[in-house]
Amino acid sequence: MSAIDPITRDLWQVIAATEEIPVGVVETTLLLDTRLALTRDRDGNPVVWLRSDEEQGDEIDPESILDRLPVLTGYGYIWTSLGNPPKELFPIPEYAESDRVNMSCGSIGIHVSAPRAVENFLDMGHFPYVHTDILGSEPHTEVKEYDVEVSEERDEVLATRCKFIQPRAAKSATEPMEVEYVYRVPHPFCSVLYKSCPEDEGRRDVIAIFLQPMTKERCRAHLLQSMIDSTSTITDLRRFQQTIFGQDKPILENQFPKRLPLDPRSETPIRADKSAIAYRRWLSQKGITYGTIPVAS
Amino acid sequence: MAITLYDFELSGNCYKLRLLMNILGLPFDIVPVDFFPGRQHKADWFLRMNPFGQLPVLKDDGLTLSDSGAILAYLAKTYDTTGQWFPDAPAITAEVLRWHVVADDITASSSAARLALGYGYDFDIPKVQKQAHRIFRLMDEHLWFGEREGRDWLCSPAHPTTADIACFPYVMLSEEGGIGREDYPALRRWTDRVRRIPGFTVMSGIFPAGRALQTA
Amino acid sequence: MTLSLSDPTWYPIASSDDLPFRHVYQGQLLGRELAVWRADDGNVNVWENRCLHRGVRLSIGVNEGGELKCQYHGWRYANRSAGCTYIPAHPADAPARRIQNRTYPVREAYGLIWSAANDDQPFRPFPGAEGHDWFPLRPMPVNAAPEDVLAALSALAPDDQPADLMPGLSLRFGGTYYFVQPVDAGRAVIRGLLATQPDATTLRHYNELLSKLRDRLERAAAKKPAPEPLKPAFEKVSAELSTMPEIAVPRGNTITVVVKRKWTSADGVIGFELAARDGHLPTFQPGAHIDLHLPNGMTRQYSITNGPGDLMSYVIGVKQESASKGGSKVLVETVREGDLLAISEPRNNFPLRRDATRTVLIAGGIGITPLLSMARFLDKSSLNYELHYFTRAGDVAFRSELEALHGKVIFHTGLPRAEIGLTIASALGQWSMAQHVYVCGPSAMLETVRSTAAAQGWPDEAIHFEYFKNDKVIDDSSAFEVELARSAMTLHVPSGKTILEVMRDNGLTVPSSCEQGACGTCLTTVIEGEVDHQDVYLNDSEKRSNSCMMTCVSRAKSPRLVLDI
Repeated sequence: MSAIDPITRDLWQVIAATEEIPVGVVETTLLLDTRLALTRDRDGNPVVWLRSDEEQGDEIDPESILDRLPVLTGYGYIWTSLGNPPKELFPIPEYAESDRVNMSCGSIGIHVSAPRAVENFLDMGHFPYVHTDILGSEPHTEVKEYDVEVSEERDEVLATRCKFIQPRAAKSATEPMEVEYVYRVPHPFCSVLYKSCPEDEGRRDVIAIFLQPMTKERCRAHLLQSMIDSTSTITDLRRFQQTIFGQDKPILENQFPKRLPLDPRSETPIRADKSAIAYRRWLSQKGITYGTIPVAS
Repeated sequence: MAITLYDFELSGNCYKLRLLMNILGLPFDIVPVDFFPGRQHKADWFLRMNPFGQLPVLKDDGLTLSDSGAILAYLAKTYDTTGQWFPDAPAITAEVLRWHVVADDITASSSAARLALGYGYDFDIPKVQKQAHRIFRLMDEHLWFGEREGRDWLCSPAHPTTADIACFPYVMLSEEGGIGREDYPALRRWTDRVRRIPGFTVMSGIFPAGRALQTA
Repeated sequence: MTLSLSDPTWYPIASSDDLPFRHVYQGQLLGRELAVWRADDGNVNVWENRCLHRGVRLSIGVNEGGELKCQYHGWRYANRSAGCTYIPAHPADAPARRIQNRTYPVREAYGLIWSAANDDQPFRPFPGAEGHDWFPLRPMPVNAAPEDVLAALSALAPDDQPADLMPGLSLRFGGTYYFVQPVDAGRAVIRGLLATQPDATTLRHYNELLSKLRDRLERAAAKKPAPEPLKPAFEKVSAELSTMPEIAVPRGNTITVVVKRKWTSADGVIGFELAARDGHLPTFQPGAHIDLHLPNGMTRQYSITNGPGDLMSYVIGVKQESASKGGSKVLVETVREGDLLAISEPRNNFPLRRDATRTVLIAGGIGITPLLSMARFLDKSSLNYELHYFTRAGDVAFRSELEALHGKVIFHTGLPRAEIGLTIASALGQWSMAQHVYVCGPSAMLETVRSTAAAQGWPDEAIHFEYFKNDKVIDDSSAFEVELARSAMTLHVPSGKTILEVMRDNGLTVPSSCEQGACGTCLTTVIEGEVDHQDVYLNDSEKRSNSCMMTCVSRAKSPRLVLDI
């Protein structure tokens, strides 16, 4: 069996936050068990290639790199592909709105497969137990009915009307209140969350997670926030997101098996897991085997 | 005047201070420092406070202090009226300081492995993991014999000391560095005891223990 | 020697001292990880270290005394059975499907906790085990192959007194027993037992001896290629559990139990302790009842009074009514200690939400039984509750059990009717979000609680009660077709007749008992059509699932029903 399924090979894969890559200096990383090197040229454009004997921190003339992998910059991150990627990356139209604060929140390595991390991002039931007193708190543990569909036209999983009672949904909130989320999975290893914005009722804050599958059982989470927030500093907003992700990390790293099992009989879903069930089915139908345990044929 | 902590949420060393101040019931302000990915601890304004470029930094009463172990000692000696967290008896002080050094060794091994695997730092992962296991073995042995002798904590007093606070975070976070604790049952029990100290608070990556009270 | 995943040998996996109050120990055996915990009743549980829901290690969860709580989503698993008792994401639903973690055999003996990969072999004490006050040495984990560890231990024995090899990777010499716990192909734990209580010097001596042995073994192992680790597979869950959650009602298996104890509690209540003949009884949730099949052929429902993880026997209370005939009379008069009775698996039509900020429990007389169980669950989890217990006489049933609780338990004895109403009103207070009341007692009390609560702003979904009788007026005005899929028959059900009657008229033998929609005997699977539920047996989510019905009272909303008969 080939290690990388053709669907995964042809996807755009995130590898780094653009602003963290210095010009003319080698950065190394791992994508789909493949060692990569990257840098930025004088114009700031990323250059990505298969790593040979380069070491992290080496100085390099980007013009000397002839054999390059496809590259694209999107949402503040560098994306590449080991195969033949589509022309464009999935859309997050809100990112372009001029009054939003867009920021990366760091790239954090986790010892779990990328699909497991996506599934956790879609999950609300863990809020009171993992993000205690921030995204949820006992006794408000109920996950109400919500809607899930797989959009044929956009080829993505969409969960809407996701509601949860949060203790501190906004900075100003003193009482627990119900917040509404929309989740999109527009890429097998990426998810985008829309959450009611305390500053502007008519709009929504956007938080996205892009997973870099390093190996079948290890990934790097790249976090994006696109916020309507005129008061918080970037440091504050990053701190909030890192706090949340830091709480998920030990859960993900204590999950077994590390790859996401696609056979329905591997785990026990409940109604609250509708979006996860749809996600697993969608991966199965697409034929994603990297980072998953496919259904035995 | 309020205490100010220059803090990074995911730092175990910063957490040591939040933990002790919470246990002592000390109010404090937090100034978040973007250690990752912003590397603000290497920014000029930070280096002026701490030329070593390390978190945490604590300001109190006109003083600017750095190094988590040193600050733990400062906080306990200044604000712990019971004198139990950093006892004055010379022999006990020596014991506590001895374990503060172990805490630094745990940082240099367990925390280094975590930084390498999670945050892209360049450390020799197998080497630091091995060092962490060596320390955990010794701690497990020390704590197992302690349990036989009726000692619950790292040092000999019947009450926890700053040594327990200093060693705790990067023991609890070791799995993020690929260092399992299944071979150290006495160490695991000690982490339950620390998590049951009144006033205990969590950080991202550390969950609270269940209720401790033994009821009939 | 190669390790086998299916090795049936019992090995020590922990010392008894490794399992203090409310701790979860991370155990390992033959390539598998185990979550090992001692419940407050002393019982030791050895489970696969993995929550069935999303695969998270249970060893990072919380030992709540009678239940283990998963850290990820707060699912609770019961002591002994490892059955799931509560899913916080759906707090109003009883987890109807039997979600149960994989358990391993366990025995606590000689200062050690023993387990095995399967229960193919009974536990046998090691030779010479009896008659000593064993002391377990500090366990010594070693990164080396278990057989190499055994060989090295054997080499410790003096030449003139060679080690005596025993079954199951163990040996003895000089009065000390050593057991090698096979963790994996390249990992082991040495567990030593001394026949007497050692002094500190002796303990240090053994620790030094074994530490040096470990260091030698690990140096040698580092020079060899690492053996291939064992690869245990996670068992698949049942097909029933793997699909998303239409609710299936379990078909009545009966269990034979022994009447272990029968006693007069008080206030005309007889207590019965019904014990499993072998092992433990099935998982139940607070509020659950069992059907008791009586010697005279009748079936009656009784609530389980037990607390979390208390599965060795069920305790029920039976009201001794002077004028009563049938059910409780038979139980009270003819059933004796030692008798065998058949009971159903527990069912729950009265589930307890654990997501309330305040829970009010109101019991009248024998109605205390399900509420005692609820109070015990809330008590163990330190949740806020008040239990109001109304009785006629001064002697109240289950007094000592109630007095052992830590929450607010208030006895209201011999109150006149008017005062009962006032007491209930003040016990309830005004409603605010996330408050729930549970009531069980005579129908007059039930009505008082319902109307008082409604008047004080309590919404319907915050008022919980259970029917053992169907007092509803059955609307049998509809007429429809019933297709019996397996019998290949289509019948017309006219208004004024039940499905059950029409089936009998057409020569079918169908089981039934109460014929008022309360006992569950005539439960039938629905294949097609929309059911008009009129019973009190199925809970709301089961009714919503439209997958089953009671043919004695329920009817069709659609012109046609297809039943699995």
